[in-house]
Amino acid sequence: MSAAQIRFAALLRREVSRFMKIKRQTVGAPLLETFLYISVFGAALGSRIDELEGIDYVVFIVPGLIMMAWAINAFSNNSSSILQQKMQRAIDDQLSSPASPLELLLAFSFGGFVRGMLVATLTFSAASVLVGIPIEHPLVLLPALFLVGFFFSQLGVLVGIRAEQFDDLSFAQQFVLQPLIFLGGVFYSASLLPQPFETITQLNPVYYMIGLVRYGFLGFTEESVALSLLFLAGATAALFAVNLRLFQTGHRLRA
Amino acid sequence: MTTALQITDLTKRYPTGTEALKHVSLEIGAGEFFGLLGPNGAGKSTLIHCATGLASPTSGAVRIFGHDAIHDYGAARQKVGLAPQDINLDWFLTAQETLDYHGGYFGMAKQERRERSRELLDAFSLTSKRDERTTTLSGGMKRRLILARALMHRPELLILDEPTAGVDVELRLELWQYVQRINQEGTTVLLTTHYLEEAEQLCSRIAFINGGEIVAQGTSPELAETYAVASLEDAYLELVGRKELSRGSVSEISA
Repeated sequence: MSAAQIRFAALLRREVSRFMKIKRQTVGAPLLETFLYISVFGAALGSRIDELEGIDYVVFIVPGLIMMAWAINAFSNNSSSILQQKMQRAIDDQLSSPASPLELLLAFSFGGFVRGMLVATLTFSAASVLVGIPIEHPLVLLPALFLVGFFFSQLGVLVGIRAEQFDDLSFAQQFVLQPLIFLGGVFYSASLLPQPFETITQLNPVYYMIGLVRYGFLGFTEESVALSLLFLAGATAALFAVNLRLFQTGHRLRA
Repeated sequence: MTTALQITDLTKRYPTGTEALKHVSLEIGAGEFFGLLGPNGAGKSTLIHCATGLASPTSGAVRIFGHDAIHDYGAARQKVGLAPQDINLDWFLTAQETLDYHGGYFGMAKQERRERSRELLDAFSLTSKRDERTTTLSGGMKRRLILARALMHRPELLILDEPTAGVDVELRLELWQYVQRINQEGTTVLLTTHYLEEAEQLCSRIAFINGGEIVAQGTSPELAETYAVASLEDAYLELVGRKELSRGSVSEISA
């Protein structure tokens, strides 16, 4: 291995080991939360709703829950890891190393990405055992999940860099991210909503992400798959470019 | 003689407008034990941060063993080990992991990291604490671990920012013995401290910094001569404008 590869592996290993050391909080709790959603919305409410767009209701909501698990875990891992290290100044050990801004950004990004992927995979495995989840379009599903995970990893990095206290993270997660995800159609189809709520939902970028993931799993979508993928790839690339610039200039990281 | 650290016309202005360093120029030769003394807020830590990549200079240049600290930061940082003033250990890591990750950030291979961390844990009497999280270590142990971490990648320039602040006498002596030994083996040392007797005993040359400017430099007797006083302490008191605190003056008053 070259020195650069060893360096990147160490940076990434540190991020992964951080969340694995507190796995009850970082993996167990989100997994339980997702199961509570499946139980409440799927088993309890689902017995009244039966089918949505011709799909069993429990099966209809699982793709959105998988995407939500990946998104929220990727976001919260990266934002809290960066803020915590900034507050302790433990991040100085990485910042004063020969690691480049790109290596630092990728390592922080993939820490949350891996955590989100782990929780999403466990959610999918367990849901498959309970209700049976098809995978209709794996070639759409894989890039869609990758992009969603990477997008929210970048968002977590951005908020972590900008934040000065944990209250800033709570605000971003509870007042911005959670409402966008919940109102993005995890538990319902936008076409069932009366106006103006249907239009409002269509203005929510998370709606298109859920649509993509749902299409990958169930083959059902209300929007253009190609356009949604293009939009998501563009938004992810833009966010990545912003974060790279922040690491290059040392914004709120270096004095 | 090879120059270990060359600072040329360095200015650092913070976004608040505070000018922490004003056109500072300084040269430290390879193998020197160099002291940087000055009151709180004089610019010592800012100068160190500019040399280690933790602060971006507003203008001027910093070269470490000939490598530009901005444009060739990878090679420059590879040669520097920093023991910062504040305890900035990662709460999630054990003593062993702290050294191992640091070695990884500097591109050290696994076997080399294992051997080097074993050697340093032993040298700093931390072997029995190797698997304990940094939060459980005493203040003295944390201080020793920070020094071990700075030495992990065998830097050619060791920067110690007030390393003995708040540590007990035996630990202070232990640290100095170790640092003197590695200095004799060829490592250049830059030390900031408020203990003048320490600087006098250890450093071959000393610079006074005040208000962001290097106001005098030389050996301890040369500095005393510059200020026309009997000792380094009196020269320092002249620097900070508190010559009434001189032990000579105090003795005269007592008599």
